[in-house]
Amino acid sequence: MKPDKDQMADTDKDRFSVTILDTGERYDCAGGIHLLKAMLTLGRKGIPSGCHGGGCGVCKIKVEQGDFEASLMSREHVSEGEEKDNVVLACRTFPRSDIALRVLGKMHKSVVRRYGLV
Amino acid sequence: MGVMRIGHANIRVLDMDAALKHYEGILGLIKTHEDKDGNVYLKGWDEWDKYCLILSPADKAGLNHVAYKVENDADLDELKKAIEDYGVEVEEVPAETLHGCGRALKFNIPSGHQFYLYAEKEHVGKAVGVINPEPWPDGLSGMGVHWLDHTLLMCELNPEKGINTVADNVKFFKEALGFNLSEQVLVGPDGNIQAAAFMFRTSTPHDIAFVGGPTSGLHHCAFYLEDWSEILKGADLLGKRGVKIDVTPQRHGITRGSTIYFFDPSGNRNETFAGLGYLAQPDMPPITWTEDELWRGIFYHTGEEAGEFTSVYT
Repeated sequence: MKPDKDQMADTDKDRFSVTILDTGERYDCAGGIHLLKAMLTLGRKGIPSGCHGGGCGVCKIKVEQGDFEASLMSREHVSEGEEKDNVVLACRTFPRSDIALRVLGKMHKSVVRRYGLV
Repeated sequence: MGVMRIGHANIRVLDMDAALKHYEGILGLIKTHEDKDGNVYLKGWDEWDKYCLILSPADKAGLNHVAYKVENDADLDELKKAIEDYGVEVEEVPAETLHGCGRALKFNIPSGHQFYLYAEKEHVGKAVGVINPEPWPDGLSGMGVHWLDHTLLMCELNPEKGINTVADNVKFFKEALGFNLSEQVLVGPDGNIQAAAFMFRTSTPHDIAFVGGPTSGLHHCAFYLEDWSEILKGADLLGKRGVKIDVTPQRHGITRGSTIYFFDPSGNRNETFAGLGYLAQPDMPPITWTEDELWRGIFYHTGEEAGEFTSVYT
């Protein structure tokens, strides 16, 4: 869920620049759109995409620069300590300024599956 | 006698209001109860027992437990003995431990998932009644799913360490709980590692499924729709409401079901599953999918992985 609509009304339409430091990829994201969705909409790559509900944890990032608002995400994947350290899930994170981030999440699957499914 | 069918799943949600908008408004389940701890109980319109889904507010997504219904109260005594004889610890919990249910057996299956078996659950009936019923009731929301069809559990599989809780579950479900194997996926250099298994007690190809993964968890809860046209309309609704879809409508080779995969607002995967596949019976020879064709088993048309089907779960 996005943060409350009323609180966001002013910042919903503001557009910010997002930089994925790992790859140098850069894209624009409006304040009302989460960082992961904006990346995918613009055909960019870099942050793994999963459930888009804050539950599966694959889109874990660290915001190195910039302001943001984050909504509920599973404690299975982001501890309170991490959250204080600007570690969040991209699918729960809405920019409030230009953002620079690093990707922490990895797809759970191996690069090469040795046994069909794992 | 013995286990009849899936009874309910209890899943954790991060935001109950968002979860209810999804499970009531989009899937079309009907809320039947809310307890003092904020757990919400829902049923499909075509189910007569009080609930098939318990949503529990939590700070982590995922599965708390799955429960199956047995036919007679005395079956619980026989199953308790069978589970104990198998070497799995089982606890009998009194009536109302599970809301609206009689006494129940509580145990963990070899993959670690928590299970309950119960014989009685409060009966609420269907809106269409049992005397000259209409084929479906008025006033359904969203997709109007009929019932909870099955769950797919991700089970730890690490062949190098000799861990295969898919195979462990299959043996336990067969020998202790009387389930039958309908289909399996065999992988590895010698084609002898059971990486997925589909088991049944009803006459449908699966009442539960186990798939191997790095850790145990919940892959999905599946809800029944009648046919392909309901699947298409269901996917239209997901598009219309901006629900995150994992895999758009298509057919499984395994079970022959038609399917959509999508996520609830907490990231738990749902499936809407249509078609009864084929008649499953205890004497059917199990079907095997080999490693080279396993993705055709999962997504029949492309034979390739779609979405984040095996890499993402709660």
